[in-house]
Amino acid sequence: MVGKPAPEAADDAWAAFEAEALPHADRLFRLAMWLERDRAEAEDLVQETMMQALRSFHRFQPGTNCRAWLNAILQHVRSNRRRARNRAPLADEPFEHVGRTLAFVPPVPQVLTDEDLLGALARLPIVYQDVILLCDVEELTYREIAAALSIPLGTVMSRLHRGRALLRSELGAVSLPGRCRTHS
Amino acid sequence: MDCRDVRDLADSFLAEELMTETNHEMLRHLEGCHACRRELAERRSLREGVRRAFAGAASLDARPEFAAVLKARLRRAALDVPARRSIRHRGWWALAAALLLAATIGLVLRARDWTAMVTLAHAAVGDHRNCALQFRLTEKPIPLDEAAKRYGVVYRVLERLPPDDVRTAAGLAHVLERHACVYKGQRFAHVVLEYRGARVSMLVADSSSHGPSAGEGTIDAPGPIDGLSLVSFRTSGHVVLFTGEIAMGDLRVLADAVALPLRRGLSGI
Repeated sequence: MVGKPAPEAADDAWAAFEAEALPHADRLFRLAMWLERDRAEAEDLVQETMMQALRSFHRFQPGTNCRAWLNAILQHVRSNRRRARNRAPLADEPFEHVGRTLAFVPPVPQVLTDEDLLGALARLPIVYQDVILLCDVEELTYREIAAALSIPLGTVMSRLHRGRALLRSELGAVSLPGRCRTHS
Repeated sequence: MDCRDVRDLADSFLAEELMTETNHEMLRHLEGCHACRRELAERRSLREGVRRAFAGAASLDARPEFAAVLKARLRRAALDVPARRSIRHRGWWALAAALLLAATIGLVLRARDWTAMVTLAHAAVGDHRNCALQFRLTEKPIPLDEAAKRYGVVYRVLERLPPDDVRTAAGLAHVLERHACVYKGQRFAHVVLEYRGARVSMLVADSSSHGPSAGEGTIDAPGPIDGLSLVSFRTSGHVVLFTGEIAMGDLRVLADAVALPLRRGLSGI
């Protein structure tokens, strides 16, 4: 790097970022849109995430999981934005008792629409949505999820366990007319 | 392994997060249990369903022009002339700082012992970057209790010290992870904390080969190492290093909060 003309170095850095990180922007947006529920906010979140990623790209090791790296930045940016807006931090374990005391979990219906699935997911407390999305949709490892959300590994596992139990409970209620669904 | 164990481990099994031996036990059970196979199939189907529904939801699609706008903004930021100039200037400042640091080290340090300490400091920073931030160590970290059996009782002490939540004058530090790991041949007990909005590492190494510093318990702050703040102190034959991308003052506050209980815990080892 030393001795190389600056414009070439910047071009090379941009080319590497464009090839490695930019392709993940679309998936990042989908996650941001789910989390923010507002298009403008989601676009802001993704833009700020990608800008931060661009500034930190020299620290990214090629060959490692870029999507996990970007997800960690997105969660960090999201957390900072919430703090800046004086929003309460996401509660550690809301409805903690629910996962343990689900009295009856009806079987998950064999036929489920995408709407049923996403509706049930949306009714979960946000901390469970976070881990389920990062695990099942973004396909991050437990360690990567722990890093992204800055929580212990054990907390990732317990939230996944409880979150999925709640999700099955919500979906089981889909097949039962007149039953009240749990609320997030 | 019984059906209850299988239900408890099913999600980790599907996520390929189980250790090899446990995986084999699961497979052995599934071979003979139709009910558990059905349960697993349902859970797998549910995971795939969530993934498919999320990928296909039109409400989550970006505006067609968003990708192009984002790319243009990022490209301008990446190739911006002031940014390039600052990169050049940053390079010169880094070189000047490195020369100044080298000159200072050359004046102040006693050759071999202090060189060893600087090497340890660089290893600590490298471990923080490669283990706590990037998870890309060549050798996989191991749990502290296993490290205690193999390498010594100090690792046992660090299973409980510092406590999971550390109150400091600058705010709360929360332990995210504890393990033993190796970076470039240097073995550390590694505690990763969330502190002041950043990830910080506390790394403990045996001090027998890392030269003198200011003395037992005194907190050294040798200055930034490879762009990260670093402070350290010695106690009971060990060097305790703290590093992270936060202000040096905040790192010292954390070290202050941890030093006394850690010294007590490590005394006598």
